[in-house]
Amino acid sequence: MATEVVIPMLGVTIETGIIVEWLKKEGDPVQKGESLFVVEADKVVTEVEAPASGILAKILLPVGQKVPVLTVVAIITEPGEALPKEYGEPPAAGRSANASVEARNHGAEPVTEPAKVRKPLPQTVPDGPPRAVPAARKLAREKGIDLARVQGSGPEGVILYKDVATAVKSAHVAASRLARQAAERSGIGLEGIAGSGVRGRIMKSDVARAIKEAAAPHLGKVVQMDRMRQVIARRMAESAFTAPHIHFFTELRMDALLSFRQQVLQDFENRYRLRPSINDFLIKAAALTIRDFPLMNATLRGEEIHILPEINICLAVALPGGLITPAIPSADQCGLSEIVRQREDLVRRARAGTLNIDEIERGTFTISSLAQYDITHFTAILNPPQSGILSVGKTRSQLELNNGQVVSVQTCMLGLSVDHRVIDGAMAAEFLQSLKWRLEKPTFSFLHV
Amino acid sequence: MIYDLAIVGSGPGGYTAAICAAREGMRVLLVERDRLGGTCLNRGCIPTKSYYYDAKLFHAARSSDVLLNNSHIAVDFAKMLERKRRVVGTLCRGLEHIIHSHGITVAVGQGDLLSPREIRITPHGSEPYQVRAANIILATGSRPTVPRGFTVDGRIVQTTDEALNSPDLPQQVVIIGAGVIGIEMASIYINLGARVSLIEMLPDILFTEDADVRAAMREILIRRGAKVHLESVVLEISKSEEEAMVLFKNAAGEVLEEPADRVLLATGRSPVLDGLDVNRLDMAFSGRFVRVDKRMRTSISGVYAIGDLVGGMMLAHKAAAEGEAAVADLKGVSRPVQPHRIPRCIWGLAEIGAIGLTEEEAKAARPRIRVSRFPYQASGAAHALGETDGFVKLIGDPESGEILGVHIIGAHATELISEASTAMSLEAFVEDLCEGIKPHPTVSETLSEAALNWNNKAVHLPASRWPR
Repeated sequence: MATEVVIPMLGVTIETGIIVEWLKKEGDPVQKGESLFVVEADKVVTEVEAPASGILAKILLPVGQKVPVLTVVAIITEPGEALPKEYGEPPAAGRSANASVEARNHGAEPVTEPAKVRKPLPQTVPDGPPRAVPAARKLAREKGIDLARVQGSGPEGVILYKDVATAVKSAHVAASRLARQAAERSGIGLEGIAGSGVRGRIMKSDVARAIKEAAAPHLGKVVQMDRMRQVIARRMAESAFTAPHIHFFTELRMDALLSFRQQVLQDFENRYRLRPSINDFLIKAAALTIRDFPLMNATLRGEEIHILPEINICLAVALPGGLITPAIPSADQCGLSEIVRQREDLVRRARAGTLNIDEIERGTFTISSLAQYDITHFTAILNPPQSGILSVGKTRSQLELNNGQVVSVQTCMLGLSVDHRVIDGAMAAEFLQSLKWRLEKPTFSFLHV
Repeated sequence: MIYDLAIVGSGPGGYTAAICAAREGMRVLLVERDRLGGTCLNRGCIPTKSYYYDAKLFHAARSSDVLLNNSHIAVDFAKMLERKRRVVGTLCRGLEHIIHSHGITVAVGQGDLLSPREIRITPHGSEPYQVRAANIILATGSRPTVPRGFTVDGRIVQTTDEALNSPDLPQQVVIIGAGVIGIEMASIYINLGARVSLIEMLPDILFTEDADVRAAMREILIRRGAKVHLESVVLEISKSEEEAMVLFKNAAGEVLEEPADRVLLATGRSPVLDGLDVNRLDMAFSGRFVRVDKRMRTSISGVYAIGDLVGGMMLAHKAAAEGEAAVADLKGVSRPVQPHRIPRCIWGLAEIGAIGLTEEEAKAARPRIRVSRFPYQASGAAHALGETDGFVKLIGDPESGEILGVHIIGAHATELISEASTAMSLEAFVEDLCEGIKPHPTVSETLSEAALNWNNKAVHLPASRWPR
């Protein structure tokens, strides 16, 4: 018959316990009365004895989870006996004794008595002998390990079996005295540490490195930030954590703009040898709309909002190690051909790394487009000290109901992020709507240019 | 032929690197414009020690209570010079043999670094030629610094270069600079019977050493009749045919003068940059010295620099350790030389052996330190030797037991410090220093006793008479 092992009643007031160490593995033979696991409850640490002899068939409760006392934490079966199938998969946090009532009807022996508790360990005494679970003491005695030099990893520094086991392994590794001491004090094992000393002897610095690596595991490769990365990191963090962002989205009908571009394309190529992109129309339309919403062109300085006289539109340009935002100056006053020319020049020089400071810093509003990616929409972080940034997703085909007819339309998601300290939701919404109107009626809008 | 490694300079740094590299199977070229062995063998460590022991023997004989007629003992300075030359000659020949036995090519001539892979060698009186090497170690060393405004005539005003080959013995010596070189030369002159005055700009002699050691050395110097002028600046050296007068301003601002028939400039050493076209090569410097990283790499890829050229402690064994570190880096192994693991030895009127942090440095570096001492007065061996001046001072971290610094002044201190060096390189505890059984009667017991005393357990001290 299988025997359930429970966390015993540890005292009248104690309701929960945490297993800090299993002294046996699944599949190990156990003798009744032998220590099975170490449990901590209200800072009392005790070893719990096996309630029956047999095989520790299943551990149901892993180390470190707090559960009520009398929770079933393991099953001991008789040699040759199969594990009752209801214990096949361990539940995440063990089983409560109540839940196991059902299990009893399926063949497990009822818990007649809780598992026996060994004497609780003494509380810490300064400069006294170190606190260790009896199994750890036994192992230390067998292997000649001085418990005073073992760092306990149990609650309140109690030395567990595994701590002594680690010390036993370390004892056979070549290490300097200071290295051994440093390892013992930090509770890490010496085995596996690469030694830089003579014949691979582990030195203090090797242990220091191992401690550092253990503290920051899986850091992987360290990449030093270059200057651009540092600037991006600093500016983006500053923007994200000082300017309260609000985000707005509107779906733009692109058909009119796309066909308008097709109409002017040939003319531009012939006349100026330029190819206007959708971005150029966006730049122009945004600049014109900002004229009507001057706060979109503002920057916050202390207690003052400064509305900037020039409307200089930045375009975010992706570079191999980061991105840069050169600005087209007075874009509201430029003809479209001038915008195309400037945009081409700035993007080319951004990639060549030959922009000057003014071209990077003069911007008052930014457009960031990921239209060439399969990205429908995204929220952009403001380019400080600016108060608005437009994010542009990909253009896609959608079906729309138009006068009872299903028609295919081209749409694009336009996002706007603004600094709520400067711009409120209603104004941002009006701005975005106005921009949308402009872009959806390009012939009309760009007549004013 | 392209060498795997070319080394410019064959001092202890250069030749150690050459031998290590040859042992690793590299094709090595060693360029030397003078004699193999560099300053250490020809103009530094070895010649001064030959003089030092002769002078010490003379003083011991003269001041002995048990020799008869010893007031008539005189020193034959020509013989001293001859013995020094013989010692140097023997060691140079030995070194030459070792170098050749390793298949190292030696090129005699001035070596100039032309590019990261090329050296131009100009032998004396013949045409220059160029050699190529995959890697280059610069180990050109240092030469005595002559402060601006002073002229070395080689006869009355000298640096150690001239002093060690001088045919006659001075009677009254003024040594400008009371650092390691000044103190060692002072001990030679004093033991040979000359009157010595030391003039030092800094507030103390041997300024980088532990304060207790400095005080002990100062006390011995004064007891032996030396004049020690600290915080003093030399204003002028005026010379006549046979004599000089050194005019200086002392700490109190008084202008004083010291007569001398010999003035020794011991104001430090400057790196030899003769073969380095600093402007063309774009090599990075730290002050006067070539800048290197922990692996002894200069700012020029494939070019290393070691020894006095890179500054720090200007010691032969430091240069040798750096030579090993540079060769280790060529093999892809990092073996940085830790400054606190380099022993410092000074052959003064008493020997000094020191390693690690001074008490002052240790206090700054650690939250808590513990210092213990053991006096030579309590050593049977020191009494039998008749040299009871001195002590061992041990500084450790009471928390971890780490040995932070060991400072010994007294007989055989320069030998004794090796034990501390070994213990520290093994990262031993203070207590390990007294774990091994020491032979009796030897002064090596003093270090053990100091380690015992660190835990108030010294055997040859009365109970709590000597505070830690």
